[in-house]
Amino acid sequence: MNKEPLFRLTSVSKSIGGKTLLDNISLQIEAGDFLSILGPSGAGKSTLLRLFNGLDSPTAGTIEYQGKPLFSYPMTGLRKRVGMVFQNPVMVRGTVRDNLLLTQRWEQPSTNLAEETLVSVLAQVDLSPAILDQDTKTISGGEKQRVALARVLLNKPEVLLLDEPTANLDPQLARRIVRLIHQLFKQLKLTIIMVSHDYSLLSKYTTRIAFLIGGRIVEEGAADILEQPSTETVKTFLAKGAI
Amino acid sequence: MSQSFYVITWTDVLVSFVLVAISLGLIRWWKIGLEKTLLIGTLRTFVQLAAMGYVLTFFFQQRHWLFMVTLVSLMILIAGFEGYRREKEFRIPHYFVIITGSLFFTVFIVLGIILKFILDVQPWYYPYAMIPIAGMIIGNALNSTTLTTNRFIGELQHRDQEIEMLLSLGAPARVAVQDSLRNAIRAALIPNINSLMMVGLVQLPGVMTGQILSGVDPLIAVRYQIMIMYMWITTVIIVDILVLAFVYRQFFTPRIQLRRHLLLKKYP
Ligand SMILES: Nc1ncnc2c1ncn2[C@@H]1O[C@H](COP(=O)(O)OP(=O)(O)OP(=O)(O)O)[C@@H](O)[C@H]1O
Ligand SMILES: [Mg+2]
Repeated sequence: MNKEPLFRLTSVSKSIGGKTLLDNISLQIEAGDFLSILGPSGAGKSTLLRLFNGLDSPTAGTIEYQGKPLFSYPMTGLRKRVGMVFQNPVMVRGTVRDNLLLTQRWEQPSTNLAEETLVSVLAQVDLSPAILDQDTKTISGGEKQRVALARVLLNKPEVLLLDEPTANLDPQLARRIVRLIHQLFKQLKLTIIMVSHDYSLLSKYTTRIAFLIGGRIVEEGAADILEQPSTETVKTFLAKGAI
Repeated sequence: MSQSFYVITWTDVLVSFVLVAISLGLIRWWKIGLEKTLLIGTLRTFVQLAAMGYVLTFFFQQRHWLFMVTLVSLMILIAGFEGYRREKEFRIPHYFVIITGSLFFTVFIVLGIILKFILDVQPWYYPYAMIPIAGMIIGNALNSTTLTTNRFIGELQHRDQEIEMLLSLGAPARVAVQDSLRNAIRAALIPNINSLMMVGLVQLPGVMTGQILSGVDPLIAVRYQIMIMYMWITTVIIVDILVLAFVYRQFFTPRIQLRRHLLLKKYP
């Protein structure tokens, strides 16, 4: 039972309208991994990431979560366990508090979130409680990204899917956010699957790397494959600086 | 007591073309360039309504419940088809069935209450009551569903990211589209609620004007109009909620995934 990987993708493909976006991907992710999915724009990284929490279905192949088919789980429950943060954090109209309390729109009232819970989750993402009653229209991009993180953390997820969470931030802020993500990864014993253009940002933290180019995984392994890429495509990708 | 109502003859109607002639003159003078369309419209009004008069006279002579039920069903089918046809830009699965079914249900409820409990007509299929009221219900319901469906799709289009964000937090589909549903229904309701507020203050509703002109006591005409207004608003609320309750489901898979491709225009 414990031998099962957290995620097991077997020959997963996805095509839309005759176009193949993901091509025969097999991949295993162990609990506790910090997997970076790297690749150029249009490689299919977002498409792949959206499969892990069932926002999309593959057109071929199977995905298992903890040894059982992903889609055999009730989707709403699964998505709480496998949280996701998008490239552009979407806020609903209202304050930061409204956004943190979103899940109360559908959870039983018994899960009432105490003020201390909100304050402590904000502390985890390095925000002060003063922001709670600020309108989300007035907060900065970096703050938005952290509110989005806090919002997901309130679900107490096992896995975090991150789709270029730093793409719209300046390099310094991006580093700070990635450091924060790494802290959460350690603290909360999460499994992280993070998509990025920029391997230099992640190299310090990531435990595993998968290179996705043209919808295929061309290379996959422990973090040190960065130093010794075995395929030409990855070498060129790295040489170009990868942004 | 002077004559309390005037019978308008076909000759009188022809004289009312003077009004059209004035309009024609005006748009010619300003070179608006719609003379032909206006003329066609004017003629069609005449022909269609005159034909309708004869058709109605025939219908009103019928005295069989099955005839009336078939007639109303046919009206609903035509309306369902028209609603389906109006939805040109987007493909909503089962849309024809959704509208037609919702119309059937709404007409059944609203017409039933009116015929049975409010007017208490004998027999219940009395054509002078059933046909015009059914027509009014169906017509209003059709316009309103078109409005609400279009608005709903518009909301989905600009909220797709928000909806997927909510889904990814574990929201059920219904919650993820709650704001879109609310806005769509509100958009369809507000004009109707406004007319509840304004009716009688500025303009008399057409039905009432017609009744008064043909000699009905204003107090009776007003009672009918009040009933019609309530019927109207209830119809719109029931049918819009019903249609959206089925429409929103078409935009999700059983795995609670947003079917994004349905938000793309039908003909790219
Ligand atoms: N619904 C769709 N229909 C057709 N093609 C699509 C669809 N969605 C995505 N694609 C295509 O699939 C490819 C992969 O898209 P994806 O968003 O996964 O790339 P990505 O690796 O995340 O890129 P980026 O780094 O720029 O975000 C792109 O070429 C895109 O145009
Ligand atoms: Mg992407």
